[in-house]
Amino acid sequence: MTSRKLTLSEWDGHYAQLVRGGLREPAYGGPLRRHVVLEGDLRLRQLRFDESPAALRLWNFLLTENQRLRLARAQGAKLVGAMKDLGTVPVMAYALPGLRAFYPDGAWWTPCLMECSDGLLQQAEALGLDASFCPVRAMLAAFVSGEHFPLPDLLLCSAGAVCDDFSAIAQRLEPMGFPVVWWEMPRRRPPEAGEPEAELPGNLRAPQVQVACVREELERIGHLLGQLAGQPLDDETLARGIRQANQVRRLLAALRRAVYASPSAPLPALEMLVAEMLAIHFCSDREETVAVLTDLLAEAEGRLREGRCAIPADAVRVFWVNPVADLRAMNLLEDWGGRICGSDYMFTHALDLIPEHLPPLEALARTALADPMVGSTLERAARIVADCRAGGAEAVVVSRIPGASHCAREGALIREVVRRELGLPSVELEIPPVCDALLPTLSSRLQALIETARAKRTA
Amino acid sequence: MDIFYASPWVPVEWIKAHGFEPRGVWFADGFAFDPVPLSAGICAFAQAVERFAERHSEGAVIFTTHCDQLRRGFDAVARSVRARVFLFNLPATWQTRAAQQLYAAEIDRLGTFLAGLGGHAPTEAELQQVVASYGDARRRLLEAASTCPARAYAEAIARFHWDGSVCFPAQTAVCPTPAVPLALVGGPLPRSQWGLLDLIEDAGGRVALNATEAGERSLGAGVPAPSGVWSLEGFGSGERPLSEPLSEPLSQPLSQALLQALSVVSVSHVRDKGCDKDEAPAGCARAATESLARTYLENCVDVFQRPNTRLYAWLKERLGSRQVRGIVLWHYVGCDLWRAEAQPLREAFGLPLLLLEAGETAGGSLRQTGRVEAFLESFQ
Repeated sequence: MTSRKLTLSEWDGHYAQLVRGGLREPAYGGPLRRHVVLEGDLRLRQLRFDESPAALRLWNFLLTENQRLRLARAQGAKLVGAMKDLGTVPVMAYALPGLRAFYPDGAWWTPCLMECSDGLLQQAEALGLDASFCPVRAMLAAFVSGEHFPLPDLLLCSAGAVCDDFSAIAQRLEPMGFPVVWWEMPRRRPPEAGEPEAELPGNLRAPQVQVACVREELERIGHLLGQLAGQPLDDETLARGIRQANQVRRLLAALRRAVYASPSAPLPALEMLVAEMLAIHFCSDREETVAVLTDLLAEAEGRLREGRCAIPADAVRVFWVNPVADLRAMNLLEDWGGRICGSDYMFTHALDLIPEHLPPLEALARTALADPMVGSTLERAARIVADCRAGGAEAVVVSRIPGASHCAREGALIREVVRRELGLPSVELEIPPVCDALLPTLSSRLQALIETARAKRTA
Repeated sequence: MDIFYASPWVPVEWIKAHGFEPRGVWFADGFAFDPVPLSAGICAFAQAVERFAERHSEGAVIFTTHCDQLRRGFDAVARSVRARVFLFNLPATWQTRAAQQLYAAEIDRLGTFLAGLGGHAPTEAELQQVVASYGDARRRLLEAASTCPARAYAEAIARFHWDGSVCFPAQTAVCPTPAVPLALVGGPLPRSQWGLLDLIEDAGGRVALNATEAGERSLGAGVPAPSGVWSLEGFGSGERPLSEPLSEPLSQPLSQALLQALSVVSVSHVRDKGCDKDEAPAGCARAATESLARTYLENCVDVFQRPNTRLYAWLKERLGSRQVRGIVLWHYVGCDLWRAEAQPLREAFGLPLLLLEAGETAGGSLRQTGRVEAFLESFQ
C-alpha cells in the first residue's frame, strides 16, 4: 500500500478534513496554503507533499522560522547569526538561556521558495554578486533589505577551509555595517606519523594541534555568546547543550535508519531533506525540533508496521550528494523511479553524535572538524562510499550548486571514487533555484541514471 | 632540489634554510594553462598548479589552502604524487593566537616535509643569514616599486621569487609619458600573462601598482616586527572590536621585520637556554618557527584574509601616493574571492574599475584587448 503525495490544492481539502477529524497543531500550525498567500512562498504550488499530519507540522515549522524568530526577539531573546559552520555554533548558543541561533545562509532557499519573486538574487546582482556566485548570495540582499530574517544581535562566521563564495559574500557584510566575528576553521588533514592525534566523529582523525586550534576559537566564541546571554558558557552548561543536541541527532539517526534502510521508503525524499536540515540549528527552536522529529519518526515507524510506504519497493536506491537549490528536484527523483537511500547534504558532521565522554569544548571542536567540507574531498568520498554500501545504493547523484566554488572540482573526484570503489553509475546535475526551465534536461539525465541502475539489477 | 610554492605566504626563507631552492610556481618553465572547461567554473590557475605538480617529477610543489580550488587540486594530485606535494594551511584569520599557532605548526610540519626530501634543519645562524639575504632583496625591490616600469618590475619580482636575487634591467626609469597610472589588482599573473602589462602600455596606460599575487603585494605589508610578546589583551572581552586590526601597516618590509624578530628569539634563547647559534635544538627551532609565523601573519596582504581590512589599507596608501586613476581587477574564472571585491573596491576608492578575466591563452585575447583599450579611452 502506498501513501499518497499531495499537491498544495489537494492539501487544502485534506487539511480541512484533518481539522474536522480533530487535528491538534502547535501555535505555528495552519494550512500550507497560507504560506503562499501571506508569505509569497509560491514554490509550494509546484511541490508534492507527504499527506501525514507529521509532515504538515514539519512544513509549518520550517516555513514559520522568520516569524518565530521575530516573536522570540519581541519576547526578549537575543539572536545569533551563525554563518557557514553548519551545526557547531548553534549547539553553544542553545545551551544558553535567552539565545536563539539561526543561519542567515538559509536565505539561499528563499529565491526557490518564492520563485524569485523576492527579488533577492536581482538585488544581490545589483550589489555586485551575479549568477557566477552561489545562490547563497541571496543572504547579502536579505541583510540589506532586512525583510526576511531579523537582523541578528551577534554575527559569527567560520573562515579558512570554507567555501570561497560564502566567505567572499560574508566579507561584503562588514563594510555594509554588519560586523562579523570570524573564527578559524583549519583545513582538516590526516595526522603525520607520530603526531598526537584525536578521533573525530564519522570515523575520522585529525592532529591534536588542529583540534586545539578549533577548541581555542570556540572558547573565544563561547565568551562572546556568554556576554550576549549575560551568563558564562561554562562546561556544565555546554555539556547539557551537547546532550540536548544529541537528542535531536539520535532522533534523526533513527528516522534516517527507518526511512533510508527500509525496502520501501515510508517517507518521501523532500520531507527527509527538510528533516535533516533541522539538525544544523534546530530551525530556531530546539524543543520543537524534538517534537517535530518525534512525530515524523512515529509516522515512519507506524507506516512500516502497517506496510504502507511513500515510495514503492522497486524504486532505484539513490545516494544524493549536496543539497538542492530547488526543492522540487527531490520530487522529480521519485517521479522518475528513484528514492533516496542515503545523503550527504554537506553537513554530515551535524548528524553524528557529539562525544559526551570528552570535555565539552573538546568534543565540539572535534565535531566541527569532522565537517565534510573542511577536509579532503577524498575523505568525504570515502564516507559516501561507506554510506552507499550501508544503504544499498544503486546509483549516486552529485547535485551541483550553481556558482559554488567547491562544486567545480569535487563532483568529479567524488564520482571517480564511487565508480572505482563501488562500480555504481553516477551523474552530476546542476540544479538552479527554480529548475523548471531545465526539466527536460534534468529529466533525461535522471531517467538515464535510473534506467542504467535498473539494467544492472538484471545483468 | 627545487621546491615550488603556489602562494607568496609560504615562508621561502624556511625552504631555503633547509637547503632547497624555493621557486615561485608562477614563473616556472612548463607552468602553463591547459585548455580547461571554463564553463564548469574551473580555475585555470589551480588547474595549472595541479598539472605542474603531476608532471614535474624532479621537484616538490607546495599548495596552499587559501582557496577552494587549490585545496581540491591538492586532493586530486595527492593520490598519485603524495611524496612530492604539500598542502600548507594558511589561516584566513590573522588577529588571534589560534591563527598564529596554526601558522607556526604548519611551518614546523613543512620543515618535517623538507627533511623527508633530504633537507636539513637549519641552525639559527643559517636561518638568519637567509632571512637577511631575502630581506635585503625585498627592501631593494620595494624601494624600486614606484619608479620601475611595470614589465621590468614584474621581471625583477619574478627573479626574486625564482632565486631570491634582485636584478633590474638596465633601463628602469619611468618614461615621462602622459600614460594613465593604473593599479593591477588580483590573482596570480604568471609569466605567460605578462602580455597584459604591454597591452596596458600600448593602450595608453601604465601599471603604477602591481598588486597581483606575485607582484609588489607579495613582498609583504611592512608591519613592525613583533616585540616578542603577542598581546591579545581585550580579545573577546568586549574591550576591543574583534575586527579591528592589531597593527596598522608601516613601512618596514617583511624580511626586516622577520630579521628583527629572529634576533629577539636568538638572543633570548642563547641567553636563556644556553643554545649554540650554530646548532638547531628543538626549543630554538620552535621559537624560530613561531617568529616566522608571527611575522608572516602580520605581513600577509591578501584577499582571503578575514577580515580583509589590511588589503584595503595597503591599497589605499599606495593608490594615493602613486596617483592611480583606475583599477584593473585581474581574476580567474571561478575565483569568487577576487570577483566579489569588484564593487567594494569601486566604493572604497572611488576609482573606475575594469574586471578582466584571465584566459587560458597567453598574451591576452581580442576581447581582453578591446576591454583594456576601451577602459583607457574612457580616461581621455
